[in-house]
Amino acid sequence: MQRLTDRNHRPRLMEAFWDFLRSLNDAYGINLVQFYDDFERTRLLRGMWTTIKLAVICIGLSVIIGIIGAWLQGSRHRVLKAIVQGYIQFFRNTPPLVQMYFFYFALGPQMPRVVNEYGIAQPMLGSFEWAVISLSFFAGAFNVEIFRSGIEAVQKSTIEAAESLCFNRWQTYWYVILPLAVRFCLPALNNNLVNLAKTTTQAYAIAVPETLYVASQIWSDHINVFEMMITLLTFYLLLVGVIVWLMTRLERALAIPGFGR
Amino acid sequence: MKRKFSAAIAALFGAVMAMGATAQADQLAEIKQKGTLVVGVKTDYPPWGMRDANGNIVGMEPDMAADVAKRLGVKLELVPVVSSNRIQFLQQGKIDLMIATMSDTPERRKVVGIIDPVYYASGVALLANKAANIKSVEDLKGKPVCALQGAYYNNDMQSKYTQTDLVAFKGIPEAEQALLDGRCVGFIYDDVVLIWKKAQDPKFANFEVVPLPQWPVVPWGIAVKLEERDGPWGKFMAETITDWLKSGTLLELEKKWVGDNTAWLKEASEKAKGN
Amino acid sequence: MRAELIPAPAQGETGFTAAAFNRRAFACVIAAFLLVVVASEAVAQIRTTGGSQGIIDALIKWAPLILLGPPGEFGGFALNIAVSFLAMAIGTAAGLAVGLGQISLYPPVRAVSWAVTQFFRNSPWLVLLFFVMLLVPFQLKIGGISIPLPGWLKATFGLALPIMANMSEIVRGAVNSIPTSQWESAESLAFTRMQTLWRIILPQCVKRMIPPWMNWYAILTMTTPLISIVGVNDAMTLTQDALAAEQKTELLMPMYGMLLVFFFIYCYPIARWTIYLERKYAVKI
Repeated sequence: MQRLTDRNHRPRLMEAFWDFLRSLNDAYGINLVQFYDDFERTRLLRGMWTTIKLAVICIGLSVIIGIIGAWLQGSRHRVLKAIVQGYIQFFRNTPPLVQMYFFYFALGPQMPRVVNEYGIAQPMLGSFEWAVISLSFFAGAFNVEIFRSGIEAVQKSTIEAAESLCFNRWQTYWYVILPLAVRFCLPALNNNLVNLAKTTTQAYAIAVPETLYVASQIWSDHINVFEMMITLLTFYLLLVGVIVWLMTRLERALAIPGFGR
Repeated sequence: MKRKFSAAIAALFGAVMAMGATAQADQLAEIKQKGTLVVGVKTDYPPWGMRDANGNIVGMEPDMAADVAKRLGVKLELVPVVSSNRIQFLQQGKIDLMIATMSDTPERRKVVGIIDPVYYASGVALLANKAANIKSVEDLKGKPVCALQGAYYNNDMQSKYTQTDLVAFKGIPEAEQALLDGRCVGFIYDDVVLIWKKAQDPKFANFEVVPLPQWPVVPWGIAVKLEERDGPWGKFMAETITDWLKSGTLLELEKKWVGDNTAWLKEASEKAKGN
Repeated sequence: MRAELIPAPAQGETGFTAAAFNRRAFACVIAAFLLVVVASEAVAQIRTTGGSQGIIDALIKWAPLILLGPPGEFGGFALNIAVSFLAMAIGTAAGLAVGLGQISLYPPVRAVSWAVTQFFRNSPWLVLLFFVMLLVPFQLKIGGISIPLPGWLKATFGLALPIMANMSEIVRGAVNSIPTSQWESAESLAFTRMQTLWRIILPQCVKRMIPPWMNWYAILTMTTPLISIVGVNDAMTLTQDALAAEQKTELLMPMYGMLLVFFFIYCYPIARWTIYLERKYAVKI
């Protein structure tokens, strides 16, 4: 008897499904070329993978920027504080798209050049790297303020207790303040990270082959704008859903008895 | 910039509008009577249609429009059009004539009156970085190529030749910048534009235009309203274009604006003389 | 982005107030921009052999175009601001309706309003913008009259959608934050539900809604450059046109920097004012 895990079984099933989608196009004009065509499916999946990579790396970096920035804001150096504050206000109050253009088209060409495998002197850091840098700094500026508000919610008596135990400034911050602050600011952080995931679409403008970029190529080749839009929106709703779900789990895992409702 | 999508939408709307339009009597007489010829031209496609420093519309196609007005003995009014609205402008009667870098396709022939003979043509080429040593499309495998979002040759280019994601931008300035920054080995675009760019701009000294015969040469058509094509207005325009080709007017204009003559136009002019 | 959930920072605890820092941060940003301009000017002076115009001249030359658009046309930064006003007005009106739908007594209305809110709140702005640009025709035919829908107007609708969804959440949150006793007292005074909502509940909500509403206005303004991607002649597009015309690499940083500063000068005071109002209207516990 043929086993279900037969090597030929699954591909045949998938083929049948693609054929079904193809028939939808012939019968009703619903063109789901992004699924049944191997070339389009591969590049769409690659685009989605790029979006996920972009989102995950930027979330990580922006949280790190937020933690360091919030720590620097508590420093005693006035100049340092002014610089951090300037960074936050600048990135919060200017358009992320223009920031991305500034990084990629204005700052990018000023980077040292290296001769690549095609014999061309290319500036270091490509569009993906610049997208990561600009999006991380953008979301990081919001994270600094979010963490700071969390830190300010930590009771002074807790900090005094840590100091009386001979913790230095960094130890107090890392072992006492931050763990509490993170818990206080999780809802706001959640909002900002969801926003960051949505903002990754703007990397489209500097030709990072992420989901929107690939989708727009598919819809201009096959004129199936509506079908592509639905696919695109479903993907982003799922992505946002996963982030929200993970953050809720984190929030629950970190919950401290005696705080909140 | 022949965008399939906008073309399809345009064709769709064109079809709807065409059904509502009523056949008009003799547009040629009407133009002469009102004393003004209204021509739709492009302003975003130098040197065929662009704005000069004072905001006036100039270029090869505006010059052609001026010649039509001269032949009719009427005043000329130029209306800027873009790819997505030019067909509607013609059908709504906003413009009497369209000279707007429009590719001649069977779908478009169903909605507007494209005049025979056609007056120009363009193919596809690559403005390649000399350092990358690109001789033909076969050399592009796995290499980053700059392009414009929505160009009809993008899909073929990626699926058949480069087999890696294109570096596509929304506008020509960004694609050009990326090419100059060394972020791609070449920029795929309409050959006539690339030849012109290379000829007039010294910053492209280290670049060369590589023709890509994999994509066919597409003729550009001048258009009137569909129902006018076989009327006096359409016939007048057909005669005018034939005369332009025979007398070398188009070759002169091309020399003036583009800087050099394309093989297609030379051949078309020769053929017109022969007939 | 600027989440409403962030509690207003308590003053004094870290030894400074946000208001005192305000001018210094502003000065910091402007100083950074001037530094970029001066550095680029220096580079330009070194590179050019004289006779060509400097960076500062180029900025002064192009600033009017980028701010106001080409003569006789509506465009540039003024168009960004106009689009932000219009999108905010449309989004607020629609958001109020959807938000009240979310607290409706009829479950189907509630469900639909909730779904609309969640859908538009969680979709990327740029995708929604493409959605509207590509799927809405460029003219409407009502009867025999055709109303043209220019690109910037369609873009405005596209930007109004996420504003609508977020306004809807703000309205719902504000109404829910009014103590139930207010509803009960109104009911005991024989007010109908409609009357209670319009005469008692919503007036109390306004104060609470103003700070997040302004916050979203600032976010919207910073999102308007996206319309350049779908082909509208906004400040971003014109900056690129200017750069294409000038063809100078030294000009890239100052020119994009200038555009960033335009937005900063417009958005920063709004942000500070929002924080001030947030504190002023904060519910004291």
